[in-house]
Amino acid sequence: MSVGISIDLVSYRYPSEDAYALTSVGFTVQPGDIFGLLGPNGAGKTTLMSILTGILKPEKGRIIYSQGELALSEKEISRAIGFVPQDFAFYPELTPVQNLEYFGAMYDLTRRDIKRRTDELLELLGLSAVGNRKVGSFSGGMKRRVNLAIGILHQPQVIFLDEPTVGVDVQSRQAILDFLVRLNQEQITIVYTSHHLAEAEQLCNRIALIDHGKVIACDDLDVLLKTNNSRDLQSLFLNLTGWSYRD
Amino acid sequence: MLAMHKLLASIKKEFLLLWNDKVGLLLMFAMPLLLVFVITIIQDSATRIAAENKISILAVNHDQGKSGAELLSRLTESGMFEFTHEDHLKKEDLNQELLSKGRLMALYIPSDFSARLAAGAEEISSIMLRDLGLEISDAMISSPPKTNVAFYFDPVLQENFTTSVQNIIKAFITNVETALVIDQLYEDTEIEVKPDELKSRMLANRVEIDMYSAGRGGSGMRPNSTQHNVPAWTIFAMFFMVVSLGGNVVKERNSGSFLRLKTMPTGFFLVIFSKMFVYVVIAVLQVVLIFSVGILFFEKLGLYRLTIPTNYTAFAVVVLLSSLAAVSYALLVGTWARSLEQANGFGAISIVLFAALGGIWVPTFIMPDFMQVISKLSPLQWCLQGFYTLFLKEGNWVDLKWVILSITGFILTCHAGIYLRLRSDNLV
Repeated sequence: MSVGISIDLVSYRYPSEDAYALTSVGFTVQPGDIFGLLGPNGAGKTTLMSILTGILKPEKGRIIYSQGELALSEKEISRAIGFVPQDFAFYPELTPVQNLEYFGAMYDLTRRDIKRRTDELLELLGLSAVGNRKVGSFSGGMKRRVNLAIGILHQPQVIFLDEPTVGVDVQSRQAILDFLVRLNQEQITIVYTSHHLAEAEQLCNRIALIDHGKVIACDDLDVLLKTNNSRDLQSLFLNLTGWSYRD
Repeated sequence: MLAMHKLLASIKKEFLLLWNDKVGLLLMFAMPLLLVFVITIIQDSATRIAAENKISILAVNHDQGKSGAELLSRLTESGMFEFTHEDHLKKEDLNQELLSKGRLMALYIPSDFSARLAAGAEEISSIMLRDLGLEISDAMISSPPKTNVAFYFDPVLQENFTTSVQNIIKAFITNVETALVIDQLYEDTEIEVKPDELKSRMLANRVEIDMYSAGRGGSGMRPNSTQHNVPAWTIFAMFFMVVSLGGNVVKERNSGSFLRLKTMPTGFFLVIFSKMFVYVVIAVLQVVLIFSVGILFFEKLGLYRLTIPTNYTAFAVVVLLSSLAAVSYALLVGTWARSLEQANGFGAISIVLFAALGGIWVPTFIMPDFMQVISKLSPLQWCLQGFYTLFLKEGNWVDLKWVILSITGFILTCHAGIYLRLRSDNLV
């Protein structure tokens, strides 16, 4: 059964800063959604993703993960979620197989499961031929795919992806997006951030637009476009967040 | 079962990362071996110059009498000196001789050396006879001018070394003078018997000095360059792993791997424990390797063989504590540094400073007083004291008490610092 997320008026302020990075953010991610978390630079997307994945603790509000009627415990959440950060959060000195062996063990997978999933994922992501080569020598697209493989190794029910296609060529991007759609067809909930709005439009069924730490719009993509009288996601984005530079 | 699998996987990852860090491995194993060899050989030859080898001195004897030759003969017989005689040189040539020909020391005996010593002996003899009530008037007692021998030395020689040589020469001049005084006394009192027995008895050294190295056991461990350098540079090598381990921590944190781990059902202490385990094993391997070389190969190179303490348990504890201190410091630097450059730069410089202060390069007892106080702040000094207590003094647990306490305190302080940093980074 798919897992949904309820974000209940979450606020967060970094200890070294006066202003809140997030202010009373609230929305719901339905089980099986491909949910786009969009916004300009500095809007608060990464902070929210860090809170959703348990890296940061909200100062106010709460996050509830639920499967049907049941709320998941902290331990169940850590097994249910997979995180694919924007950074290449792995060991370039090791091979994809060695990286997956290590992170698989950290996910509490058995040796046998790690072996099975490693073979599956390397095959699915087109990395079988280079499974025993050091990741440091890979192209950007191959590294992105290794990063993705680590995040979904333990077959999570919710996957968080922070700009998973940044800096990759068209072929790798399409391969990653196709792969995400396949995962979603297996009822896996996907929460995704990107600056590629066309890509988000192609992939997501629901969108939350965040700016200055607040949710300025959240709904099904079709509804958002219709109610804001926008022809596509990019014009909707610019209408709601403005045209001024963001640093 | 899964926890053990997790632990083994984490340890395996650390070993693989280390195995792939060839420069780090070279720094951890090849560099200290090279340092131990080079520094021990240099210090050993310096020690042996004073302790075993003869001291080479250029001798220029212009003395018209016998005393100059007598002095050189006695100095040669002492076995401490080896003279090169070049009597044709003038006194004013000697400075240039040392500067241009690389000689280290020269002794110049002036032409009036014997005459002046004889005059001095006459004076002393007259005073003695007068004091014994013989008919010697004060007018008959002259005060001849003193004679000077000249001692030239290369300024690169250490002051304490040249002072020692100077004192030895003075002692032998006194011997020659004493012999002359006895001869003069016999002559003035018209004693017909030759004073050979009196001279030999007076000049014989009546007090011997027995040497004891302070220590609890009786294994005969002697302080020498090997007993100092092998433990000292091993400690340096252990702490120098800050370059590899500190950089390793920075890379992992900056890549986002640590944050990724936080989203997994894994405690961060597992990461810290795995790193500590692997690097403590490395530190112990450093000890095994460098000490084995000290035991097995040093003698073949003409160096002193390393003597291992008999209290193996205490030895193991000191090795383990030193390893933990080195690893904890490296983790502290790694967690606080924001970049690889910071970790490597600060880590390496801090260890070199700690080593210099802690008596790794030169023993702390030859430092100025205020530096000796500062040296007590170096963790490398505490570790070195632990090894000294075992290697030179054959100390027991009571002797090691403060060493164990201070190193343990240092380890705990490092971990408190690591915890604070990880907490502020939201990693724990």
